[in-house]
Amino acid sequence: MIRTSLRLAILFLLLVLPRGAGAVEGDRQVFQAAVEKARLVIHGATDIEAMRPLLEDFQALRPDVTLDYVDYLTNDLFREATEACAAGKSVADLLLSSSVDQLVRLANDGCAVAHRTTERVPDWANWREEVYGFTFEPAVMVYDERRVPPEDVPRSHNDLAELLRQKSETYRGRVGTYDIRVSGIGYLLAFNDSRVAPTSYGRLLESLGRAETVTRCCNNEVLNELRGGTIAIAYNVLGSYAYAAHLRDPHLRIVLPRDYTLILSRGALIPATSREKALAGAFLDYLLSERGQKKARDASFYFSANGPLPRGVDGPASLVDTGIGRPIRIGPALLAAQDQAQHRRFTGEWSAVMRGKNPDITPR
Amino acid sequence: MKTETSLFSRLLLRVALVLFFGAAGIVTAAWFYAAAAADEAFDRLLQGAAFQIAENMSVEEGELAINMPSSAFELLGLATRDRIFYRVVGTKGETLTGYEDLQSPVDLAESRRAPVFVSTRYGNSDVRMTIGARAVSDPMLSGWVYIILAQTTEARTALTSELTTRATVLVAVMACATLFAAALALRLSLRPVVDLSRVLHDREPQDLTPLAVEVPRELSPFVGSINYFMRRLDERMRLLQRFIGDSAHQIRTPLTALLAQLSLIDDKGLSDDGRHHLARVRARVEELSHLTNQLLGHAMVIHRFDSEKLVPIDMRDIARRAFKRAVPLSLDPDIVVAFEAPDEPVTVLGDALSLREAMVNVIDNALRHGAVARLEVRVRVEAARALFEVEDDGPGIPRARWPEVTRRFASSRSERDVSGLGFAIASEVATLLGGALRFREAIGGHGFTTIIELPLHQETKA
Repeated sequence: MIRTSLRLAILFLLLVLPRGAGAVEGDRQVFQAAVEKARLVIHGATDIEAMRPLLEDFQALRPDVTLDYVDYLTNDLFREATEACAAGKSVADLLLSSSVDQLVRLANDGCAVAHRTTERVPDWANWREEVYGFTFEPAVMVYDERRVPPEDVPRSHNDLAELLRQKSETYRGRVGTYDIRVSGIGYLLAFNDSRVAPTSYGRLLESLGRAETVTRCCNNEVLNELRGGTIAIAYNVLGSYAYAAHLRDPHLRIVLPRDYTLILSRGALIPATSREKALAGAFLDYLLSERGQKKARDASFYFSANGPLPRGVDGPASLVDTGIGRPIRIGPALLAAQDQAQHRRFTGEWSAVMRGKNPDITPR
Repeated sequence: MKTETSLFSRLLLRVALVLFFGAAGIVTAAWFYAAAAADEAFDRLLQGAAFQIAENMSVEEGELAINMPSSAFELLGLATRDRIFYRVVGTKGETLTGYEDLQSPVDLAESRRAPVFVSTRYGNSDVRMTIGARAVSDPMLSGWVYIILAQTTEARTALTSELTTRATVLVAVMACATLFAAALALRLSLRPVVDLSRVLHDREPQDLTPLAVEVPRELSPFVGSINYFMRRLDERMRLLQRFIGDSAHQIRTPLTALLAQLSLIDDKGLSDDGRHHLARVRARVEELSHLTNQLLGHAMVIHRFDSEKLVPIDMRDIARRAFKRAVPLSLDPDIVVAFEAPDEPVTVLGDALSLREAMVNVIDNALRHGAVARLEVRVRVEAARALFEVEDDGPGIPRARWPEVTRRFASSRSERDVSGLGFAIASEVATLLGGALRFREAIGGHGFTTIIELPLHQETKA
């Protein structure tokens, strides 16, 4: 009874509140089983449209399971999960988030249960058998070929910094990226940029700040600005979203930086308070399985560790073999990114540089 | 030999106990060492990480800027399954970052001189904690900053148990090998005892010669005592034998005279009753005389074996002489007697007189107690044994009584008929010559047979 009214309340909020203003980013979708024997509640910081093929495919395997999927912003998901863990409340049976550092923090705080899988998982995408990475998503640059002439197309982080420096007038206010203060994934990517290549990160941030970069909360918002023509280049967008945008509008082109490309693996975690641990494990196994991975590559996330790059993507032939791809290792090192003081300092520095004359960034 | 009280099992049990407790001690020690080694190894990581965090702090505009280094967590991440908790405590005791509820069980100030390591609990987990201190001296901010860094102990426990398991396997293998070696060594050392007991066990009851076995020094007093005792027993036995022989000899003379006197009594003058009594007296005196002769014969046999050397003799000759002596001329003519011997000599090692005495006794016994109408005496060779057989058509001796009839005076108790010393002498002689006295039940056409069996003498000139 209480759960139902809670859901209703959430639904109400979803309808009433404007997008992005509330606690919930996307929406909630229930994949009702014909004859329901079990119900799996998944809270994910992943677009419902990306998840839909996977959820439906899993339901084809387990037709008696109703899947209840709620889409969140990464930070909201983390906050909710932390509170649920502290209170010992069961909110979700499975958490999916692109902000793996937050999942690692949850696991470190003892908020996760281990799930032993028989599927093959790369070493860097598994910590304690509690946090699993189930996707392979490069952080890419997207540009609109109608607005960026071929000679301007940046192919590395340095290229972008140089472009913004040399043609500052042309690209002023025409570049977009995450607002790392709002987006956990944006923060994680920027933090890793600063660790992998501190010098080029400094230069790039400087250039982005001077170019009065447009910052948005989320992938899709950045891509929407690109599609709408407000900006010409989007920096540090997850490949899956970028490719989906490319499929909708072929003028949007994707570049994998050739100096290094961060690779993020979307994380999955079974909370300690999960009511359906076995079922959550089964879904997790599905995500990691060959069938799930193939489905994800074909319909949801487009990139994969061993497959070729999707058609039309500009980048090295193989991210893994060339060493250009830098997987963000799911492990305790991510705790450094999660440190409060670190977060405060890093976002502080970021906004100080980005602020400049930029009307988007207001001091907090 | 009862195994539960055997020296071997008692010794082995003690060795096993010592080994078991020794091994348990070693395994416990190994566990302690392994735990210490694991702590030592992972404490270095912990200390290194705390050190990196401390080094990455700086004072900026009067405030402590904390730059949490990823490398510190990567270092701790080498223990792949362990969770990490930390807290940075500022100069005023405030939490600068990290887990606010992570408390140190010791005074933070203790870490000023050297990093402190302590095992404690955080949340529901066992953790190993280090506390590092860093002095900050800035015009605007000075004092001590502490880094509390804790890590769960899964990797340590895993390493400890792995090391301990290996040590345990090694110790177990060693203990088993030692126990096996100890068992072998014990068997080997106890062999003389086993040998000695076997020699004693296998000994013939009459054999009172000293034991001739090689024994280790520890056992020689024991064997010496046995031999001393046997020698004394042997001397006593000889004295007794000689006494009996002498007594028999002394009694024989008056007995002979008594028999002569008896034969002189004219029984015609006696009443029927008196004649009857006289006949019984004569029978008893003859019996007494026979027994005395047997006693003498026995004493003679014993004496001869003490003094005479054994020589090769032909069993046929001895048997023929014994046959002649044992079968009296006054034998009941209804009894058919036969003697049978092979054409070749049957050579055995022995003393002619003793052997004849033994044979006479066997034939005599058969005539007195067995034969009704038939007595056969045979000498033959079978499977390298010389056999002297006396077969009669009498009732024989039941199998159950075989063991006791070879004992002296054995049959006198259960039967009115006195067999006396006959079989005892025969058996003694056969045993002393390396053979045995045996019986064979009546089967088919054969009657009950008494056999003296001796080894054939090999004709070797050595």
